[in-house]
Amino acid sequence: MSSVKNLRYNFMKDLGAPVLMRFSSLRKKRHPRKLNPDFGPALKSTNRLKEIMTRHYFLSRYAEGAKPVAWVTSGAPVELLRAFDFYTFYPENHGALCGTQKMGPELCAVAEEHGYHQDLCSYARIDLGHYFSGKTPAGKLPKPDILFASNNICQTVVYWYKALAHYWKVPLLLFDTPYNFDKIKEHDISYMVRQFEEMIPLLERVSGKRFNYQKFQEIIYIAKETSITWGEVLATMKARPAPMTIFDAFVHLAPIVSLRGLPVALDYYRTLLSELKERIDHGVGAITNENKRLMWDNIAIWYKMRDFSDLFAEQGMNFVTATYTNAWAETIYYLDVNQPFESMAKAYSLVILNNNLNNRLELMERLIKEYQVDGLVIHSARSCKPYSVGQYDLRRLLMYRLKVPSVVIEADITDSRVYSEGQTRTRIEAFFEAMES
Amino acid sequence: MTRKEYLIRQKEEKGRKLFGIFPAHYPKEILWAMNVLPVEIWDPPLEVSHANAHLQPYICSVVKLGLELILQGKCDEIDGFLFPHTCDSLQNLASMIYNYLDLNKPCYFFYHPKAPYRDASRQYYLDELKSLVLRLEKQLGALDPSELKQQVKQGQQVATLLRELYSLRAHGELKASNVDFYQIIRRGEYLHPDDFLPLLEEFLAISRGQVVKGPSVVLSGILPSPPDILKLLDEMGVRVADDDLLNCSRRLSVPTSKDEDPFEAMAENYFAMPPCTTKDSPLNTRVDYLFKKIEYSKAKGVIFYMVKFCETELFDVPQLVEELKKKGLATLVIDCELNQGLSGQIETRVEAFVEMII
Repeated sequence: MSSVKNLRYNFMKDLGAPVLMRFSSLRKKRHPRKLNPDFGPALKSTNRLKEIMTRHYFLSRYAEGAKPVAWVTSGAPVELLRAFDFYTFYPENHGALCGTQKMGPELCAVAEEHGYHQDLCSYARIDLGHYFSGKTPAGKLPKPDILFASNNICQTVVYWYKALAHYWKVPLLLFDTPYNFDKIKEHDISYMVRQFEEMIPLLERVSGKRFNYQKFQEIIYIAKETSITWGEVLATMKARPAPMTIFDAFVHLAPIVSLRGLPVALDYYRTLLSELKERIDHGVGAITNENKRLMWDNIAIWYKMRDFSDLFAEQGMNFVTATYTNAWAETIYYLDVNQPFESMAKAYSLVILNNNLNNRLELMERLIKEYQVDGLVIHSARSCKPYSVGQYDLRRLLMYRLKVPSVVIEADITDSRVYSEGQTRTRIEAFFEAMES
Repeated sequence: MTRKEYLIRQKEEKGRKLFGIFPAHYPKEILWAMNVLPVEIWDPPLEVSHANAHLQPYICSVVKLGLELILQGKCDEIDGFLFPHTCDSLQNLASMIYNYLDLNKPCYFFYHPKAPYRDASRQYYLDELKSLVLRLEKQLGALDPSELKQQVKQGQQVATLLRELYSLRAHGELKASNVDFYQIIRRGEYLHPDDFLPLLEEFLAISRGQVVKGPSVVLSGILPSPPDILKLLDEMGVRVADDDLLNCSRRLSVPTSKDEDPFEAMAENYFAMPPCTTKDSPLNTRVDYLFKKIEYSKAKGVIFYMVKFCETELFDVPQLVEELKKKGLATLVIDCELNQGLSGQIETRVEAFVEMII
């Protein structure tokens, strides 16, 4: 690592970023968003969230050469990397950012020009499109020193990161998590623990730092506390009216994905939780007329977030839970500072997408009951096979067991070219009718 | 004898249980040793109808046809299913069938470690083999270790013969057409080695001989299906000199293990298999492997014969094509649905490709 770049990074962290944040917040105040009567007051914490994430992306421009940089998949056990002080960057989070900025089709098309088929995951195509074109709404992304992927969310991330490793010419570290078809086995856990142990020498070499077990335990503690707090944030939506919507949660998810294991994420969720509890105490709802409560299944349709948020709020329908946002709160309870490797093996291999469909059915049943859900919206996402294969049967079984009306929206997470407005509207209108009956 | 007649005779005359096996890598020797005949399910000749109620339009036809086979009641003779971990779609299909479809048939799952391999990977593979045996024993009774040893040897005999066939073909010393070659190879998807070995020996004996000179190619992808491509290449005088197909040469270990412990031998064979997308093999190993095949067989180009929506294969294609082109080799990428034949447009593209390599 270069000492000049390190100096520049620290300067930007301590002085440049705070100045930028102040300037950015002043600029926003001059252009306040028009109020929509279907919604309650905006969450105050959102400003702090924007500061944190803008700072994270801003600093990433200066991380290269100053700190070891790792590109990480959203489900990977990042706590291990934090022990080596890696600057972590999440291409999936960047993909979602591109989606909300409606840059998905443009970046996907670049990847397609280089031979990547339109049927491939659009997060991956966006990321590869960025590699070939350098385009990003974040200004500039840091070049990775290492890629860290786990197939606990899909096999696709490994195919995608293999391509990145080929182009960037950097090592790819894979955390291989056996799929939990029935019950997790002892040798599954041993295998994952041994993988962690075998990763340490490579991480020491790339980062130039020795593994510090005590520091690692502290990080595990922070990560667990953060996930628990995130779970409590989500649980506030059990209240009637719910103090936030799942569309808020999709946005407020960013720190738990990208900054897990760092104190900033924990502090942020404590602030958010406090605000949400205050709203509950004062009966403040996220939408003004919460008549029906819904559950969302699968990743968000990032380019339609605002439209969907408005459309459902107008009908007095609030999304109060989602399998997706729940994923970062569901299994983290396994984390144990006294058995960090074994507990990480369980926490990361038993996540929703690496677990059998019976587990998912039971989880959805539980969420529907706990959050008093009246209807289910299922996003069948072309990009995400492990999330989508099985959804038709899940819908059928939930309808049979709990009599919950549902609708399937065929779309994609960021590639709006495969989204049909007419077809989706027709289905949603039919769903609204079913909800009324 | 048709495939179905053969399977029924195996059951009735040999007392063997039949297991439906979804793609791709699994320890068939364990099944043979437990008197089970593995019957692989890749591309049953069916029209997809029932499966569409369970699977989205963007799911590949290997997955859809496998489910269709079950939903049409064509697996009644099957005594159990084995799902190796191959890709996201097959992983979820396994869980769908096991958790949601009430089949009342035993379902087993087999996870194999993904590359890049570490010390932990080999131990895990051995543990997973032994765990599979324990699970199977509950249904099938105890495994006889000497029988497993025998079946590992028989499996190696099959692999040796297959490698000889591949070697002769690569050197232009096998007269068989593309269609005939793959018809024989693919019978290994369901024949017991007692029957497959003599078939291979006979095929080897009658097919040995110099071929008429002409351009040759390497075929890469999941499986040589729809087989129309083979017929088309035969008609155009183009020889498939070698392949990089998941259900063919990617499952051939080179060389086979001599270890006396059957589990160790199976593990050694698994890790000696060619690089494969379903095992997350790094791209450089796949590039090197393809170059070796091309050099060995003097092929003029590579046809990537993709199953539509197969992310596992499609992700590697751009880099492979780029590396092949750097060496001046011709490439053609085709993706199509199984059992739908070749469209006129694809035929034209194949013809244009062949004109390039003549």
